[in-house]
Amino acid sequence: MDLDTVKDRAGPREFSPADDLPEEYRKAATRMIEFHANSEIMGAYLERPFIRQAPSIDRKLACSAKVQDEIGHGQLLYRAAESLGVKTREEMLDDLANGDGKFLNCFHYEMTDWVETPMIAFFVDGAAMRRQATLRRTSWEPYAHAMDKVCFEEGFHVKHGEDILRELMSGSKKEQELTQAAFEEWWPRIIQFFGPTDDKSTHHDFAASVGLKQQSNDQLRNAFLDQYIPKARSYGLEIPDEPRIRELDDGTYEVEEGDLDWDEFFTIAKNDYEPGVGQINGRKAAQEAVQWVRDTIESDATAAGGHAPQAAD
Amino acid sequence: MIWEVFRQEKTGQYHTHCGNVHAPDREMAKQFAAIQHGRRKPTNSLWVVPRDEVGEIDAEDVAFGGTTDKAYRWATTYKTTGEDAREVVESEDEQATAERQRGDD
Repeated sequence: MDLDTVKDRAGPREFSPADDLPEEYRKAATRMIEFHANSEIMGAYLERPFIRQAPSIDRKLACSAKVQDEIGHGQLLYRAAESLGVKTREEMLDDLANGDGKFLNCFHYEMTDWVETPMIAFFVDGAAMRRQATLRRTSWEPYAHAMDKVCFEEGFHVKHGEDILRELMSGSKKEQELTQAAFEEWWPRIIQFFGPTDDKSTHHDFAASVGLKQQSNDQLRNAFLDQYIPKARSYGLEIPDEPRIRELDDGTYEVEEGDLDWDEFFTIAKNDYEPGVGQINGRKAAQEAVQWVRDTIESDATAAGGHAPQAAD
Repeated sequence: MIWEVFRQEKTGQYHTHCGNVHAPDREMAKQFAAIQHGRRKPTNSLWVVPRDEVGEIDAEDVAFGGTTDKAYRWATTYKTTGEDAREVVESEDEQATAERQRGDD
């Protein structure tokens, strides 16, 4: 199939591994799905410490379930990416370990305090879900099918995150202040989740023309602000003064791009941001620590004896 | 040789199991599947898989979904205020449906 045919036919779930697709399509889809898969994995690692730090048994169970889900989403997405025939799952995981694999800006920052958890679990996951819901109509069928299962599970993540936020914002004055401070720290990063504005987006036009991407960065950012600004306010959070956000007459929002730190964003995009490098290496170390599990599974004949089992953390 | 047949009604939908055919090889299995399972119901694509290649694990072998209460896993457990995003509502509805169909509570 040539590129013009792809563009003509590009509709929801239109193309499957049975189709002979041009390299441009396969590469663009691989880039997009691999990024998504890596982000699921890195997000899980960011939240993993909170299984231990959770303040109650209910929160511990939910955090544990969520981390498990995210790793599962990564696995589904590596399969959807692998089915394009450009990169193997092994190559993608190796690239993630050696620092070449790209992933979401928000997961390059450290998260140390419980009050930060709703910033990821409610706002970042809420943003991700806005985007993922549109990707159920992507043109690469295996990607759309992965989104069906991801969206099915993700509602729990967002609502659990919102529940943590509700609890913190109806807690002590100190809890409320710490939560507001965490919100102010994370808010610009969350706005940047959707990437640069449409006119600065390098990959959007092609991905949209072949039906991989359903909505532009600006449309998604608008849809997010429209839903989540009222939510934040309803729990008593104050929206930070910067970045300046203007509500236009047509109900959409305009974000003052100059108020956001794009140098940091593009440093992150190159995997050069120091805390992000720490996240990548942290995951690599955890992977290596449990190499014995994979070795045991793969060498069915050899007994696992001989060395003391090690935990990933 | 028995071949299990999976039918997809429209582009982009899932291939779901719809029956099986008797055939000596893959080519014949595809032909028989087209005739027996692709004619009356709307069909976009069929898969044929040798029955021996299908692995099965059933509810006697394993407790699917475990035997413990995992209410913490469902969106329906968490109370929020105001209107939720439509995709969150949709996810919650799908979960509520799955929860009811599991019927083990």
